[in-house]
Amino acid sequence: MQAVHSAQAPAAIGPYSQGIVSGDLLFTSGQVALDPASGALVPGGVKEQTARVMENLRAVLAAAGCKPEHVLKTTVFLLDMNDFAAMNEIYGAFFAPHKPARSTVQVARLPKDARVEIECVARIPA
Amino acid sequence: MLRASLARASASLGLMLLGACAAPRPAVADVGLRAVRSDRAPAAIGPYSPGIVSGGFLFLSGQIALDPATGALVSGDAAAQTRRALENLRAVLAAAGCRPEHVVKTTVFLLDMDDFAAMNEVYGAFFAPHKPARSTVQVARLPKDARVEIECVARIPR
Repeated sequence: MQAVHSAQAPAAIGPYSQGIVSGDLLFTSGQVALDPASGALVPGGVKEQTARVMENLRAVLAAAGCKPEHVLKTTVFLLDMNDFAAMNEIYGAFFAPHKPARSTVQVARLPKDARVEIECVARIPA
Repeated sequence: MLRASLARASASLGLMLLGACAAPRPAVADVGLRAVRSDRAPAAIGPYSPGIVSGGFLFLSGQIALDPATGALVSGDAAAQTRRALENLRAVLAAAGCRPEHVVKTTVFLLDMDDFAAMNEVYGAFFAPHKPARSTVQVARLPKDARVEIECVARIPR
């Protein structure tokens, strides 16, 4: 088991690794829309936040040699289910034409009062 | 079943990501990853696959109690919704050659933790005597304002 780290993704804000590699699987921590440079939540609405989250995930994936097309499963935690369509638009474009398995739920609150948090499991290419 | 067997054949050839379209995508051939779907499970309501197979495991998207025929949420209480969500999972499992006994882990998202016992009754009967590892939480809201959503990971039998 090995922790992965990317300087292009925000530093952890708690006792967790950005990602853990075990065997040929990568388990990423949930990402919220923190700017890797400032550590602050990016301005804007759910689309801007989703775009930043996806780029943060891309950086962690890359640190383990993965690309978005290697993602098997994601979990999307929304602050407001009314953001479902807007999130889907950015999320879908990020992965297209790939479509990982996914579950989406609305939660009561997210770290840093973010509007969206996304975690994933990826397969590391041989 | 034909789709599933075709997909399995494709997997063994390392031609991956066989979805509704049968065109292989060599870009992901190196990770052996393919999408599975079933006509007996509801169509996706977003940019996700009902299931992804990779490395002997099947990762299933969360299922809510959508009727595969109409795409609408089934009427009824938490027990009825749990039953439909599980039947949807069964269809996706079957598309990858799995049965409920091959499920390793589930996550249950409830709209109301007071539905815990009602969900358990249906859920337990569905898997019995098998008892997958499981986490259950109450969430604030679910897609389509469902009362329960269930996702799982399964091991594909050899």
